[in-house]
Amino acid sequence: MLVTFFRTLIIIITLMVLMRLMGKRQIGEMQPFEFIVTLIIADLACVPMADVSIPLLYGVISIACLFLFHQVLTILEQKGKFLKKVISGRPSLVIDKNGIVLKELKKNDMSVDDLIESMRANGYFALDDLSYAIYESNGQLSSFENQNQSQPPTSLPLLIVSDGKIDDGNCKKIGTDTERIKNFIVEQKGRLKEVEVMTVDGNGRTYFKKKGQKYEILFFPLKEGVKW
Amino acid sequence: MVKTIISSIAVAVIVLTFALFEQWFITKNFNEFNDVLAVLYQKIEDESATEEDVYAVQDNWLKKKKSLHAFIPHNDIKEIDLWLAESVTLVGDEKWEDAISKVEVLIELSEQIPKTFTLSFENIF
Repeated sequence: MLVTFFRTLIIIITLMVLMRLMGKRQIGEMQPFEFIVTLIIADLACVPMADVSIPLLYGVISIACLFLFHQVLTILEQKGKFLKKVISGRPSLVIDKNGIVLKELKKNDMSVDDLIESMRANGYFALDDLSYAIYESNGQLSSFENQNQSQPPTSLPLLIVSDGKIDDGNCKKIGTDTERIKNFIVEQKGRLKEVEVMTVDGNGRTYFKKKGQKYEILFFPLKEGVKW
Repeated sequence: MVKTIISSIAVAVIVLTFALFEQWFITKNFNEFNDVLAVLYQKIEDESATEEDVYAVQDNWLKKKKSLHAFIPHNDIKEIDLWLAESVTLVGDEKWEDAISKVEVLIELSEQIPKTFTLSFENIF
């Protein structure tokens, strides 16, 4: 019985550590521990139930271990912010007044693409639609709308540069090439490596953010006839 | 919070109590079974064992296994059942050497099964 108990405990702790290391994108609207419980409780209940060669007590003990672990974590979380941060993680501010916070995204093993995807799911299509965006510890995106948006976008912005890398596929979609993008960056007195994010919509409206600087809304001249 | 603490302590106490009981119960039953097997082994070695002696051991095991089913994997129980059944036939046919090897396996099983329930590195991992 104690062997089963400790085996279960080791599996839970391993899963917990891995889930925390994997970052927010793996969790999907649950706290890390809730996700682990969901992941293993069905098997803990079903295996001894269906396999008659295993005493039912093994399942009961494993579930009791899971319950005990959950209760202990609940108590520890209530004891202080540090423990809560270790167990459940902390929210990550991924967009602030200066634009995307790439460092925070990277900490959570996420890319600008992932952020844009989450924003689209919340009904926002341009990066400057939001003043603040926070990935909660359960992986959900909370957003604060930008009230001072100068020119709202009228078509879907495409990610052209992300973390110093040009997306060739998206360049083609807006009818341009890598050279033109590089020239545009030079015109903005920057280098490709310094560009954290650049998106362009169908009208040439550009979200441009260099490392350590506030984002700018610029205009990228699209070729005539290009409609996106 | 109070409810959480109380329920945690309650579950921990229940698990620990059950664990201690399980350890004691399994060790006690297998020790007794081991003693009975040792007597049978001696009789087979002396070539004085009869089918009734093995049946007596089997009866003893049947009584124990009813409650042991709750604690140990049923395949382990089945294994002992099979080795015992073979021993009955071999003792009946007075094939002493074969019978003694079967009882040796049973003794080994009765010593090893309780060990799988102790808290040790090899059992946990």
